[in-house]
Amino acid sequence: MSNPFVFKSELWIPRYTGIKVCSLKELIEALKIIDKFSIFYHMYINIFNYHNLPTFYTNSISYWLYKNGYLLLAEKLSVIDPLDYFDLEELRNVLIKTIKENYYENMNEKKGNPFYFITAEREIIESGRIAHTLNEFIEGIKKSSINSLFYHLVTSRIENKTLINDYSAWLFNMGVAKKAEKINKLDLYSRNLYEIKKEIIEILESKEC
Amino acid sequence: MLEEYIPFVGEETIQELILISKKLKDLKVLHVNSTYKGGGVAEILNSLVPLMNELEIKTDWKVFRGDERFFSFTKKLHNLLHIPCGKYINSDEIVYYLKITFENLKEIDTENYDIVFIHDPQPMGLIIKKHPGQKWIWRCHIDTSTPDPQAWNFLENFLNAYDACIFHMPEFAYERITIPIYTIPPSIDPLHPKNIELSEEEIKNIITKFGIDLEKPIILQVSRFDRLKDPFGVFEAFKLIKKKYDCQLVLVGSFAEDDPEGESVYKELLNKTSGEKDVFVLNLPPNSHREINAFQRGATVVVQKSLKEGFGLVVSEAMWKGKPVVGSNVGGIKRQIVHGITGYLVNSIEGAAVRIKQLLANKYFRDEMGFHAKERVKHRFLIIRHLRDYLILIYKILNQKS
Repeated sequence: MSNPFVFKSELWIPRYTGIKVCSLKELIEALKIIDKFSIFYHMYINIFNYHNLPTFYTNSISYWLYKNGYLLLAEKLSVIDPLDYFDLEELRNVLIKTIKENYYENMNEKKGNPFYFITAEREIIESGRIAHTLNEFIEGIKKSSINSLFYHLVTSRIENKTLINDYSAWLFNMGVAKKAEKINKLDLYSRNLYEIKKEIIEILESKEC
Repeated sequence: MLEEYIPFVGEETIQELILISKKLKDLKVLHVNSTYKGGGVAEILNSLVPLMNELEIKTDWKVFRGDERFFSFTKKLHNLLHIPCGKYINSDEIVYYLKITFENLKEIDTENYDIVFIHDPQPMGLIIKKHPGQKWIWRCHIDTSTPDPQAWNFLENFLNAYDACIFHMPEFAYERITIPIYTIPPSIDPLHPKNIELSEEEIKNIITKFGIDLEKPIILQVSRFDRLKDPFGVFEAFKLIKKKYDCQLVLVGSFAEDDPEGESVYKELLNKTSGEKDVFVLNLPPNSHREINAFQRGATVVVQKSLKEGFGLVVSEAMWKGKPVVGSNVGGIKRQIVHGITGYLVNSIEGAAVRIKQLLANKYFRDEMGFHAKERVKHRFLIIRHLRDYLILIYKILNQKS
């Protein structure tokens, strides 16, 4: 028998790192040294803050680049899917590499709107709900907040160092591989988390295994 | 009371608040500011303090007392922290600030609290009574990004003794701050009379009472009569719009009796607009919450064309009512409006006129943006998010101790 699923949630508070940048050169240098949870904040959490809006870009660094006229770079960075990474250091390197590859010395003009690096002080809480069966699991998700979804679909992968989210990992263990795969393939960054929740419940309640 | 917020934020969110508050049970928290009435800080504390108590975090709110001399100094300090203006702080003022602080130390018991929130500069000196084991947090509601150096030095003497500070947004924090800086935007309360749902009939009765035609589009700005809110710029934009659109401009505000500038701005505005039959300049008494609510709900487009702004929560109030807002690209307005999605950010009178015209001409845009505006406020600028941020902050700061 597989382990029960423990429903958790994640809350956070933004803390300003004191680092602000006004040019691409400064952005690259800052990305090398900032706290990895600042990368987490800007690449993962920021989309949570805007997930319910049809914003132009999927992360705040791309949005800053766009606002400052670096349209190509904004697109190059926005296509980076944070869910392809579970290691924040690897993601940091990809960001720096992408900017460097598309950066020329004449692009180093200082911009009037600085980019402020924020980091996330996080707190994981247990909801008190546990699922032993698929039905309990579905009920648990129905009662989950979008913060809880965010934790199990996004953060848990970083904590467990895997590309498979918590829900799917548990479903694989339960022998419902197709549902697990479908949930793991959901494009979280193209829809809002309420729609994602609805779709997960539909997948789980469908007859296919 | 918490249950009353479920329709706005969902039961799951309230459950999470209860879970996090259990970690803070039996904690004693104190908020200190300088007024029970008037202003955004008092309005937020009025909602926040009862909610914290309902979550079994014993929370008190005390007010720092001062006289006219004290508050004229802190007003000057406030202005100097906002922007250097050639004025200087003299030693008499510092001595008087300390005198009033010591008087308040006798009245305000801060000893029996685990966490003390001090709001803005007026009560900041109370920190000298900090006890080991207590955590003190300075909650700054103003933009101190480019302060007068002398004013900042004065403030810094107290600030460095705090365990953390909070600003609305990172842009407002001065770069010399060395203690942890948290960024927590302010919020509106959906249960406040300013924000509750109103019947169509009440909206109609309130608006038509002032002679405004509900059949004609209404462009609205709600703000104090203050040059920094640029009501004259809004009027100029209106004249550009009026060439093609048969619409009305409503400038709703108030001025305090002790604010001579407010009265002169109001009168100047009345003079300037006197020949315009579709312009309404309305000076409402303070606490005209339902009236403001009705105007925001009845408006076609809401404007906030401030030249400088703190956070400007009036933007969120309008957005909460599903209105697209055309706002200046300054201060907290740019944090609330997502350009092109929940409204428009503009940099000039002409920019404001163009965007207002686009919205007047296109109901689909208005409805779409209004929908997203409400969603934005629902997720980012309601009191429950604010409360949750405070609870996590308290937990995190207490954890630093261990």
